Amino acid sequence: MPSGLELLKSIDMFSTFTQEELEKIAPLVNPMKVMEGEILAKKGYRARTFFIVIKGDFLLSFQNGKAITLHNKGDIMGWSTLVAPFEYRGTVIALTNGEVLTLQGQEFYLLLQSESALSSKIMNEINSIIASRTPYHEV
Amino acid sequence: MYGLENISAHNGWAITFVGVTIVFTGLTLLCLSIGQLHKILGLWENKDTSITNQDRKTLTSNAANAFPKPVMPVKDLETIAQYKLIVERLQQPFSLPKLLDIAVKIGLDRPHSTINTLLVKKIIVPDGKGYFIWTL
Amino acid sequence: MAQLFLEFLSNTGFALADYRHLIMILTGIIFIYLGIAKHYEPLLLVPIGFGILVGNIPVFKGLGLGIYEDSSVLHYLYMGVTSGVYPPLIFLGIGALTDFSTMLARPMLMLLGAAAQMGIFATFLGALALGFAPNEAASIGIIGGADGPTAIFLTAKLAPHLIGPIAVAAYSYMALVPVIQPPIMKLLTTRKERLIRMEEPREVSKKEKIIFPIIGFLLCCFVAPAALPLLGMLFFGNLLKECVVAERLAQAARTSVLDTVTILLGLTVGASTQADVFLTPQSVGVFILGAVSFGIATASGVIFAKIMNLFLKTKINPLLGAAGVSAVPDSARVVQIVGQAEDPNNFLLMHAMAPNISGVIGSAIVAGVLWSFIG
Repeated sequence: MPSGLELLKSIDMFSTFTQEELEKIAPLVNPMKVMEGEILAKKGYRARTFFIVIKGDFLLSFQNGKAITLHNKGDIMGWSTLVAPFEYRGTVIALTNGEVLTLQGQEFYLLLQSESALSSKIMNEINSIIASRTPYHEV
Repeated sequence: MYGLENISAHNGWAITFVGVTIVFTGLTLLCLSIGQLHKILGLWENKDTSITNQDRKTLTSNAANAFPKPVMPVKDLETIAQYKLIVERLQQPFSLPKLLDIAVKIGLDRPHSTINTLLVKKIIVPDGKGYFIWTL
Repeated sequence: MAQLFLEFLSNTGFALADYRHLIMILTGIIFIYLGIAKHYEPLLLVPIGFGILVGNIPVFKGLGLGIYEDSSVLHYLYMGVTSGVYPPLIFLGIGALTDFSTMLARPMLMLLGAAAQMGIFATFLGALALGFAPNEAASIGIIGGADGPTAIFLTAKLAPHLIGPIAVAAYSYMALVPVIQPPIMKLLTTRKERLIRMEEPREVSKKEKIIFPIIGFLLCCFVAPAALPLLGMLFFGNLLKECVVAERLAQAARTSVLDTVTILLGLTVGASTQADVFLTPQSVGVFILGAVSFGIATASGVIFAKIMNLFLKTKINPLLGAAGVSAVPDSARVVQIVGQAEDPNNFLLMHAMAPNISGVIGSAIVAGVLWSFIG
């Protein structure tokens, strides 16, 4: 299995990051295999883990029956880990076997304290995705 | 002693005024010196302009992103018919999680990857508002 | 034999306990619950909560068990608190952990950290007005600095008999920052102000990051020499981090040293809150004034930011003023949350780290100033 660093390099979201920056993020991310039907996050539960798709297909279901599906490498899920009220806004189910990179919210905040410019770069990448998904989980 | 009397008796006002002045002075001096620091360093030597935004080529192509999809676990037409029945019951546009939920409840084989295949084959497509439409 | 058995029973906690022990044990359990189940500052509340349990086991005095008995193990561990050793070591770890670049990129935001320290002085005056002695009033006021090690350091020097309630109050309010701050921030700002977007900060070079701790240390300690133990260790830790060549030392400072001292400090501070020492009218006063201190500190930072905006061409988001309360990085996170509630695309967290970190420096300077005036 490729290392965390190699996987990060292959993701579009990190395409503008330098080697040094990726080396700082790499220790925080862990690749994780997922099985078809596995629930990665549940709506309303405490959001602790942030996911980046490496391969596989995922269903994100929100309230009122709304949902989106993610099929591409670099798609992200569980951004509520980084934004209050730190509860998952949707339920994430794996539609197929796959692989994701996980990042723990607590470790991200430690990174924040020690590498603020890098954290800013990460959050800027995530921000646009948060904005695009907001209409789905608002009532 | 209480109230303003106690404050005056123990030089409270003077301590507060001088204390506030010292804190602001200290941090203002620090602020001013830091504000000049990068200019002084820039004058001292050529400022390092290798700001760290070098372009990176992605190591994988889009083709690699399209990782082989799982083979449909059941015969296509029969499967499509089963899901079409459920969608008709839900009415369009329908909730995809609800479709999945019903498929699981009634015991259809591998409903997750089946629904994914229907999405990939564009038999089910999003309506852009969080719901989905059956196109067949 | 019956006599021996009765003697044994009379020495157990069951025989020696009274309602005050039960109140404190319940308090300790609540702290542990808040830390583990609710994730409120677990690294602080779990050791403090368990320490409260340790300190409130009823024991026969004279057996060398209690924290206030000279020959006890707890007493020796507690010496790190009373002698003021633990807080500077914690600051060493914080310095080795923290990135000052957001502050270096936008030095003006440091003034928000200075403004937030007004809460300390306002509470100092309030405590004097309520009849506390100056040394006690200063120790109570420092709670508004939202800096546990600083509060413990100053209290150990000025009013060691209040370490228990002040430390518990300081850490409790730090854990409750997400509850205390937002209403004050919303009350003092308009929606238009909360929507202000900050400019992207400039890049900060490695040389700046290395030179800053040296300049910062010299400047701050020349202005307030009594802040030397805290600021010296803070800037030293930061230099270890930024110079790269001493990465092993920086790593030790921000992991093993910081974690070890946090455990010992939390446990012993918790254990010092023995019922007969803690459950007094003074402690109630400490808690009430501590909350006031936090509130005034938040309000001062926000109001100062609004005043700055009267003179600035490029406005700053006044919510950043609340991050001058130096609960790092929680108050910066609160700014992010309140800002994002208005505009999900407004990412204030990085900008809020600047006043957040300068608040740490500011509260250490205030502690030094108060110690030199009153000590």
